[in-house]
Amino acid sequence: MESNRYDVVVVGAGLAGLTAAAAAVQQNLKAALVATGPGSFVLGPGWLTTADIARAGSAQELKEAIAFFCEKSLFAGCSLEGDLSTARPLPTLLGDFQRVALAPSSLWKAEPRPDTSSAVIGVRGLSSFDENFMAARLSECSHALGFSCAYAARQISLSRNFGVPVTTLRIATYFDRDPEFRAELMDALRSAAQGFARVLLPGMLGLHSSDHQIAQFEHDLGCSICEVPTLPPSVPGLRVFHRLESYLGKLGIELFRGYPVQSFEFHRDACTELRIASPGHSMLLRAESVVLATGRNSAELLGNDCVRLDEQMRPLTSSGALVAPNLFIAGSFLSNAETSRGDTLEILTGYRAGNLAASTRGNYAAR
Amino acid sequence: MEWTQVVIIGGGATGAGILWDLSLRGISATLLEQGDIANGATGRCHGLLHSGGRYAVKDPDTARECIAENRIIKTIAPHCVEDIGGLFVQCAQDDPAFFDKWWHATGKAGIPTQRLSADEARELEPNLGSNIHGAFTCPDAHVDVFRLVIANLEAAVARGASFHTYSEVTAIHTGNGRVRSVSYRNTRSGEQEEIACDVVINAAGGWAQTVAALAGVEVPIRCDKGTLLVLNHRLSHRVINRCRKAGDADILVPAGPVCILGTSSIRVSGPDNLTASPEEIDALLHLGNQLLPGLADARVLRVFCGVRPLYVPKTAAATGGREISRGFALLDHEAHDGVGGFVSIVGGKLTTYRLMAAAVCDFVSKKLGVDVECTTDQVPLRPAASRKTLHRASQILPLPVVEKICGRLGLEADQIVTAIEARPELAEIVCECEMVTRGELEYVLGAATPVPSLTIADVGRRTRLGFGPCQGTFCGYKAMLAGFQTHRWSASQAANEFSAYLHERWKGQSLVHQGQQIEQLNLSHDLYGADLSSRAEHGE
Repeated sequence: MESNRYDVVVVGAGLAGLTAAAAAVQQNLKAALVATGPGSFVLGPGWLTTADIARAGSAQELKEAIAFFCEKSLFAGCSLEGDLSTARPLPTLLGDFQRVALAPSSLWKAEPRPDTSSAVIGVRGLSSFDENFMAARLSECSHALGFSCAYAARQISLSRNFGVPVTTLRIATYFDRDPEFRAELMDALRSAAQGFARVLLPGMLGLHSSDHQIAQFEHDLGCSICEVPTLPPSVPGLRVFHRLESYLGKLGIELFRGYPVQSFEFHRDACTELRIASPGHSMLLRAESVVLATGRNSAELLGNDCVRLDEQMRPLTSSGALVAPNLFIAGSFLSNAETSRGDTLEILTGYRAGNLAASTRGNYAAR
Repeated sequence: MEWTQVVIIGGGATGAGILWDLSLRGISATLLEQGDIANGATGRCHGLLHSGGRYAVKDPDTARECIAENRIIKTIAPHCVEDIGGLFVQCAQDDPAFFDKWWHATGKAGIPTQRLSADEARELEPNLGSNIHGAFTCPDAHVDVFRLVIANLEAAVARGASFHTYSEVTAIHTGNGRVRSVSYRNTRSGEQEEIACDVVINAAGGWAQTVAALAGVEVPIRCDKGTLLVLNHRLSHRVINRCRKAGDADILVPAGPVCILGTSSIRVSGPDNLTASPEEIDALLHLGNQLLPGLADARVLRVFCGVRPLYVPKTAAATGGREISRGFALLDHEAHDGVGGFVSIVGGKLTTYRLMAAAVCDFVSKKLGVDVECTTDQVPLRPAASRKTLHRASQILPLPVVEKICGRLGLEADQIVTAIEARPELAEIVCECEMVTRGELEYVLGAATPVPSLTIADVGRRTRLGFGPCQGTFCGYKAMLAGFQTHRWSASQAANEFSAYLHERWKGQSLVHQGQQIEQLNLSHDLYGADLSSRAEHGE
């Protein structure tokens, strides 16, 4: 097979695109993932809610899709855990609680626990996070939820010159790259955590760190360590993205990062080629099938004339014709303004599209 | 009981202008405003400093007032004005006879204009359509309404005047046929206060009728709603007017990093609870697109509505919103209604706010036996920042930020520069769209400023924080934390302030049913949860 020829090309690396690519590989497809950057998941708190489950259709398929996704995230070293049927409260960046279905384990640890004393730890100079605000609000709001948790504020100082402003992103980068920095952070946390059962930190424990690395850090600290959401981008969310993406790379998916799609070429009604804007010259990818998971407001990629999907997730034009028999849609591509983003729907539709793409194998690619 | 010579009701441009004018004449005065400054029509308009071109054909008197005031405001408050100039564009769809009428009328009114060919106009404004006949230039400008009101208030406070925001007038007490005192309620704390006075000036704009009724006087105001759209980026360099009989969506004003398209003209029952229908917004975009092709595809950041509080003398009650004069009226309730010391100033427009203030103050001075002429057309509202401050600021801040801070604050900028020199972390830019530094944020939240901020929206009106594409989703959160850190609010107050602020911002965005701003709104919902307010209350 030619090097630029794929069984499926997935466009978009949000939850839907990542899941679709993973599902396609599961079906032994040769897959490529083209994306300009991470999806909007990383702009949220880094967890998934279940607000959209009612719209998800078959409960069985949803369960299967979520189980698939959780398994992949576990293998990728950024395990998302939880139970769709019982959402549990996690602290938000306003210091109150929101019910959450799936979350990285570092976020889950911040679940309110009765009679647990927690330290909310801020970093001197860190913008957009205030440990005093957080501790006061969490005490108040956990009380309202019926938990008698005590939260105390502590601040640590780090010697690195992070510049102005200090952001969690910058701290996370040091955490990834610099063992000395991790040691310094460890020391500072250790003295701040004295007398507390756990510490709550703004999400900052690395953009690439694995669950194992965080667990090791926690073990060395000798105290439970939790992350709480910050303003975007969410470090825990970015961590999920980075780890899943690099895991997909290890599974053999070819990654085209940072390149927008310029055009789709159609041959005998089927979408057989994508032109992507790589630097200097554009690149042509040949595809048996294409999964579009480019998020909201991307219908213009197909000329704005797709109004709905058929049962196989293929876009239909306003006159009801198929755009292409081998073009599948995943995620919130056709979402309208009224429906808020649905995390679980992203995963479900990504899973479905990845599997449907397998059914077209050998039928369409331009020869 | 506290006593002052004059109580002014209404903290828009007119009320603030009156406070400043009276303070220059040595008359003691206190201003009461039910919300924050510029809460009514002043804060909900284009921010267009009219050249008078729009009124030249129909209402030459107003046009002459406008051009005179246009020149005065540019001289006394240059820091509030972005003197960008304007064009009156001759669209192919419009009546060519009107173009000539306009040309003659502006000449008569003394408005300097220049005739441009279609090519010349497009050279100045490349986004204009290919089918225009030509354009006229005029000295229109953009005025930052919030800064203008603040400048008037600050100047007045420096001369001993006072004002109270979030103070709703609950009663105007009379005795022996004269006003005696005014009761007001602090809407945030619920506390009642009373202030004794000789004169009450009703400058409540859309609420003038309600205020007058407190003294048993009828002031017929017609509220004419105008809806405006804030579009991302400046789509033109100058104010773009459509050269025709005034109609919907025929003015586009570049304002800071955005531009504002408006308006509609719909009669409503009162100035509160305004909203715009999707059809109204679509119609505005459609018409705006005739003025500037491609405009309809621009990102709409938010939608807001204001009312033109039009004074309708009983003889003119049957005419439509745009037919009623934009001129103003001074109502002496002693002569007409037997309430001594009570005056209403109604109608008018932002551009002529100073003239309206001067007229009231002339009248009130005479009543009080004070023989001092009006000097608000001569005295600069605020000194500019010193060259030394500018130099020091440019050492520690990016140049666009220096320009904004010094523009917004004048001499006061020195305080912020000094603070940043001492604490470098204050150089952080917390609102990237409007380039607001943490130093400025802490300054407007602090107790030392003459026009304090009590809510996050107040911070926005002082600094323009939250006016850009994120609509406060990120910078509003930072402002909330700053308010907590400067002890303006407790943690739960801060969270409630943020929730209230965010809901107001969400409301302005949710009216737009298309485009990228919906994504921005969804991001905001995802971050804070769409059920934010109920959770915030629960957490109390």
